[in-house]
Amino acid sequence: MHNGILLTAAGWIRDILTFLFGNELLVNILMTLVGIGAIISVILTSAIVFTYAERKVCAFMQVRIGPNRVGGRFGLLQPVADMLKLMSKEDIIPNGCDRVVWSLSPMLLFVPSALIYSFFPFDDGAILADVNVGLFLLLAISSQAVLPFLMGGYASNSKYAMIGGMRTVAQMLSYEAPMAFSLIGVVMLTGSMKMSAIVEAQATHTWFVLLQPIAFVIYLITATAETNRTPFDLVEDESEIVAGPFTEYSGMRWALFFLAEYANLLSISILTTTLFLGGWHGPVLPGAVWFWLKVLVMIFVFMWFRWTFPRTRIDQMLSFSWKVLLPLALVNMLLTGVGIYLYQSLC
Amino acid sequence: MPKTETFILNMGPQHPSTHGVLQVQLELDGENIVHAKPIMGYLHRGIEKLLESRTYVQGVPYTDRLDYVSSMNNNFGFCRVVEELAGIEVPRRAEYIRVIMAEFNRIASHLIFIGTLAIDLGASTGMLYTFRDREDILDLFNLVCGARMTFHYIRIGGVAADVQPEFVAQAYAFLDKVPHFMEEYNQILSGNEIFTRRLKGVSQLSVEESLAYNMTGPNIRAAGLPYDLRKVDGYSVYPEFSFAVPVGKKGDNWDRYQVRFREIFESAKIIRQALDGLPEGEFMAKIPKVLRPPKGEVYSRTESTRGELGFYIVSDGSTKPYRVHIRRPSFVNMQGLDAMCRGMLIGDSVAAFSSIDPLMGEVDC
Amino acid sequence: MTDYMSKTRLAELQKEFPAVHYDPEAAQPAVYVPADSLLALLKFLREDESCRFTRLADLTAVDYKDCFEMVYHLFALEDMTWIVVKVKLEHGQPVVPSITPVFPGAEFEEREVYDLMGIDFTGHPDLRRILLADDFIGHPLRKDYVQELPPVVPRIRKGGR
Repeated sequence: MHNGILLTAAGWIRDILTFLFGNELLVNILMTLVGIGAIISVILTSAIVFTYAERKVCAFMQVRIGPNRVGGRFGLLQPVADMLKLMSKEDIIPNGCDRVVWSLSPMLLFVPSALIYSFFPFDDGAILADVNVGLFLLLAISSQAVLPFLMGGYASNSKYAMIGGMRTVAQMLSYEAPMAFSLIGVVMLTGSMKMSAIVEAQATHTWFVLLQPIAFVIYLITATAETNRTPFDLVEDESEIVAGPFTEYSGMRWALFFLAEYANLLSISILTTTLFLGGWHGPVLPGAVWFWLKVLVMIFVFMWFRWTFPRTRIDQMLSFSWKVLLPLALVNMLLTGVGIYLYQSLC
Repeated sequence: MPKTETFILNMGPQHPSTHGVLQVQLELDGENIVHAKPIMGYLHRGIEKLLESRTYVQGVPYTDRLDYVSSMNNNFGFCRVVEELAGIEVPRRAEYIRVIMAEFNRIASHLIFIGTLAIDLGASTGMLYTFRDREDILDLFNLVCGARMTFHYIRIGGVAADVQPEFVAQAYAFLDKVPHFMEEYNQILSGNEIFTRRLKGVSQLSVEESLAYNMTGPNIRAAGLPYDLRKVDGYSVYPEFSFAVPVGKKGDNWDRYQVRFREIFESAKIIRQALDGLPEGEFMAKIPKVLRPPKGEVYSRTESTRGELGFYIVSDGSTKPYRVHIRRPSFVNMQGLDAMCRGMLIGDSVAAFSSIDPLMGEVDC
Repeated sequence: MTDYMSKTRLAELQKEFPAVHYDPEAAQPAVYVPADSLLALLKFLREDESCRFTRLADLTAVDYKDCFEMVYHLFALEDMTWIVVKVKLEHGQPVVPSITPVFPGAEFEEREVYDLMGIDFTGHPDLRRILLADDFIGHPLRKDYVQELPPVVPRIRKGGR
């Protein structure tokens, strides 16, 4: 019954591989590698596309033109120029830094950002690891991103970086809780943490954004905080602590941070789409197209946030999480429970 | 009980939000500020000493370099002192043009203030909007004196060139736009909950404290004291115009922002009246080729965009001033920084710093 | 509109402080006061009901080659009056009491005068150079200051990469 384009394409690749090798185990391993390759290429491509998109969206909001020199009138080759610049930059290693931890940090940051892509249903059946506790694993892995930030901040031997690292811990930990609690509403409605089941439930009923508006808003706010984007970009707050944990990084190491940031942006948008906007479901157009349309809309929303809002202050941000979002998420859980009970007893 | 100690964070001189080359030594207890010590002098050029070896007329361009975002006000202040010293009577048309230019420059400077405050609070979009509108004012100045930054337009005895009819037309067009773009800032900045919460109730200075730290300009008016030299001294032709002096209530960052915000409207009001009543006549007084003011000394002050800009000139009767002292408002206002930052968070220090609105060219002289 | 302090009140001031002297002929006579009674005079001017000079508009020093002159411009907010207080100082070792106990806002300006003119302020809370580098030699605003080019010292980093 699965008939998405992605799955059909995967079927063709599997056919070709079976024809070439024949051994089922080998083909399975190769298919996994193909999946991983596809996800990595999605992340890398999205980083390239989003740098350009972010520049253009930002320019649009700031009454500017944006990139317009490299690659024609619309500056389409700007990301390439950016990339070349980053690659050709000197790799500066600050004096007195903890070399091992310092160089590990950008790489480690990229791991959880990339890992969570295996739980995303890109299309009907196109999901790398459709495990029973998908959502739970996803949250658990994405929260690991705290550590590389702290490592980078600690190892840089810079006060700005250290403050940034400490802020990351405070921010990520305090926004982890309301985020998890807001998603419990979705899980309660679905009765499963399996990602494909959550999408299926939205196809049979309606998008969860309508059933769980409070959870959606809480999730949106916490997601912005988790990705360190304005108004919660206190970690890399350029007007106070220069660039937080990234202050001392340059060249490709910095580019890795950047890559992880855009990977996080994409994953957060995908998660919103999957959990609240019905995933790949939609009329007429194929599933993959719907999926990417929704994701791009969400990405635009996040960019819109970033280029409109000022930054909050650390005390405001923390008290907002613990005093507003968390109680609200708990109330939302209660309301969802009552709603489900009423629905079941009435129908 | 573990022992804790404060640590020193040197903000600047290379830092994105110190508006130039200022260093602020923050003594931090976690995120809380214990002390904020400004360390300046990175831009010191010795203008006071330089002026001693230039003639009075040659000295005017140096004042451009003091507060380089409101150079007209500096030219104005310096020329007024020299005229007072030499007893030069300035034609009324020149006075009107001077007031128009000074007020236009005040608007431009306050637009920069709003923009930099916005960017220091992370709203970089707001900054682009204010700079867009400041561009129109710079175009106006370009039209009238061919420069956009260091004008040297207000000269001793008058102004460098008469205003043309197209300048007047463009100036009116700009004044018509003022309420529109101010409404835009209201929507993107003042109306934003995060923006107001970042500013309200933060870094309060009462009237007594502001007086004690010798603060002037919008910083003291925000505390509630209507101390505006345009009203107090009534210099030049300012008494002929009707305008209000906006004051704040609590003296927090929000009041400092609001006072400047409302001053833009008042400046626009003054410019409109001045343009309406622009008298005909000479734009430059007859001044001798070699200016030799009589022996004596004068302290005279004007309301620059940042506060009381005073020039103290001692003349020994020669063509060059014997001693020039410049009372730079930004420099004196910096004394309030420590009191404004104490007990606040790192994020507030940036806002407090921005709300004093210092300009390093003026602080370091 | 602002005025200078009237002659009658200046005469009263001289009665209060006999050490004070001024030129009665001049239109706007500056009040000369010896350094040791400066603080008392300023305190009186600031706090006495008849004066209330609450604002220190300007503080500076002038080098007259044979002596230094500290110049204080005071302004009364209520009755909009000016007064100029001056202190004559020896050229050899100029020392004047700091007025920060009376006007705390004079701190930076006194530091500036100390930095550029080399006048010592006793009782100043934090008397360091403010505009020039800490290791600068000389006081550039003095008339006898001759600028000498700093010797070129090659900068060698020890153990640098």
